[in-house]
Amino acid sequence: MSLRVLRQSLFWQRGRLIAVGLAALAWGALIPTFYVTFQDLFEGLIEQGFPENLLNFGSGSLFTLGGAMTIGFQHPMGIALAAVFAIGAAANAVAGEREAGTLEVVLARPVSRHRFYVSVGTAVMIGVAVVLALLLVGQVLGIFLLGVDDEIDMVLVPLVWVAGLLLWAAFAAFSLAASVSFDRRGPAIGLALAYLGINYFFEILGSFLPDLAWTQEYSLFHHFNPGEIVTGNLDPVDLVILGVAIVLPIIWALIVFPRRDLAAPA
Amino acid sequence: MTTPPDEPVIRVEHLTKHYGGGLHRPGRGSGPIRALNDVSLEVEPGEIFGFLGPNGAGKTTMIRTLLGFLHASSGTATVLGHDIATESVALRRKVGYLPGGMAVYGSLTGGASLNYYADLQQREPVRREELAERLQLSRADLGRRVRDYSRGMRQKLGVIQALQHDPELAILDEPTEGLDPLMQLAFYEVLEDLRDAGRTIFMSSHYLGEVERVCSRVAIIRAGHLMAVQHVDELLARRKRRVSLRWRGAAPDLSEVPGIADVVATRDRITATLSGDVAPFVRAVASPSLVDLLIEPARLEEVFYEFYAGEDHDGPGGPG
Repeated sequence: MSLRVLRQSLFWQRGRLIAVGLAALAWGALIPTFYVTFQDLFEGLIEQGFPENLLNFGSGSLFTLGGAMTIGFQHPMGIALAAVFAIGAAANAVAGEREAGTLEVVLARPVSRHRFYVSVGTAVMIGVAVVLALLLVGQVLGIFLLGVDDEIDMVLVPLVWVAGLLLWAAFAAFSLAASVSFDRRGPAIGLALAYLGINYFFEILGSFLPDLAWTQEYSLFHHFNPGEIVTGNLDPVDLVILGVAIVLPIIWALIVFPRRDLAAPA
Repeated sequence: MTTPPDEPVIRVEHLTKHYGGGLHRPGRGSGPIRALNDVSLEVEPGEIFGFLGPNGAGKTTMIRTLLGFLHASSGTATVLGHDIATESVALRRKVGYLPGGMAVYGSLTGGASLNYYADLQQREPVRREELAERLQLSRADLGRRVRDYSRGMRQKLGVIQALQHDPELAILDEPTEGLDPLMQLAFYEVLEDLRDAGRTIFMSSHYLGEVERVCSRVAIIRAGHLMAVQHVDELLARRKRRVSLRWRGAAPDLSEVPGIADVVATRDRITATLSGDVAPFVRAVASPSLVDLLIEPARLEEVFYEFYAGEDHDGPGGPG
């Protein structure tokens, strides 16, 4: 890894990291509020015969604090915050420099393509890790402020961060693989967004339609469930699946990037 | 690893680069693009070597292959003793590179950009201040964001980043694009000083005047084929210039001038082409009756035409 490339990449992301990080903190703090505010209302709806599956969102719900935490990560707001780095920054990391023509000035130095990839990838992962951490910190702050901390095992909260990082690292690894495979950022970002969208679609579709619940198994989102983690029901298989989803695109990138011809930018 | 003094700095042997190696399918393009075809050349230590050719001839492909951005389809090359296929990173430590139409990080200042590149090079930017002074890029300029730079200032920044670490070999792709004539002269002097200090310069250009001014040898490439590797003096001896003169009174006699051709005479004006030394021509026309004399520098395209008229080296799918 080139620490200089890493440092420069983080420097360029600093403004975005601060803005998205603060948004994640605020969003996270709202989640326990939603839980406390709407829990009774939703339970009342169930008692009146409203289909429970329609009150779920992905793998989360507002019936439990853990379920609410899951919504915090699976709601489009949570997705958008994490995707700024895991999709946007990652897909742009190589293809963006390639399109701008700045990549060749860097690679004209004694920096191998592997080192460059690892460096910008690390910068992306740091961004993802910080955003997820702040989202989780926001949730914990909200939980303590509302006095509902006895409903989950707080010791397990760091595991949520680890598992969440694995999920978004998988998307970031895919986005980086797309980034090294294209000469322009458009196709790279498009492919990464399509991958994210398909995974999200499978997760949400299965949660709303019980007959299609099997689709959730094919979604990476389904293998990250904060509600289960904070109640001590973490399934190690989920971590293995996310690990595989991280490793495969990395292998692709490490094979493809050094072998690609980098013709002069148009 | 240091290149022995008598070893070529660049040695290229039968280098070939084809793009788009897929099967030829009618209606789906004309098959692979042959950007470089069996190119062999050597660049000696301490010389300024010009790589000449029109747009699309393969100059940039050659440079990018030498630096490892492109992978050769066949053939081999070494740069400063390093194999370009297996030791690309090591060779780039010793090389300075100016890409054609260099892209910059607009959000960085000029100084921060140079610091970034120097750090990545892992060598002290020992020539930075001198280059900035000679190319008139002031401390205040270097403190401004690059997005506010003019095209010429960006090119100066590109030159400085390529040479600031005093590389053993500088590979420069169209280095004077965007520089004004005064800065071009300053840049030529920089190159000559580097050469005098034992550094080697490999530069691509399509400006014959520039190559004449600074290069000792040139390679001429057309449609991926190396047409010639010559000393500049030999090239000059073969080239043709357009000449035009106007006089008052008796017309000068040009029939004995060596190299004169294509003479078109009107009442008080003659245009012609002149190859070789201009001195006999100047002597022949020097008289009080001469009113005006114009000797145009030959353009590269014309030189190519003179050299290779009637030959077809493009082959199928030439880079164009």
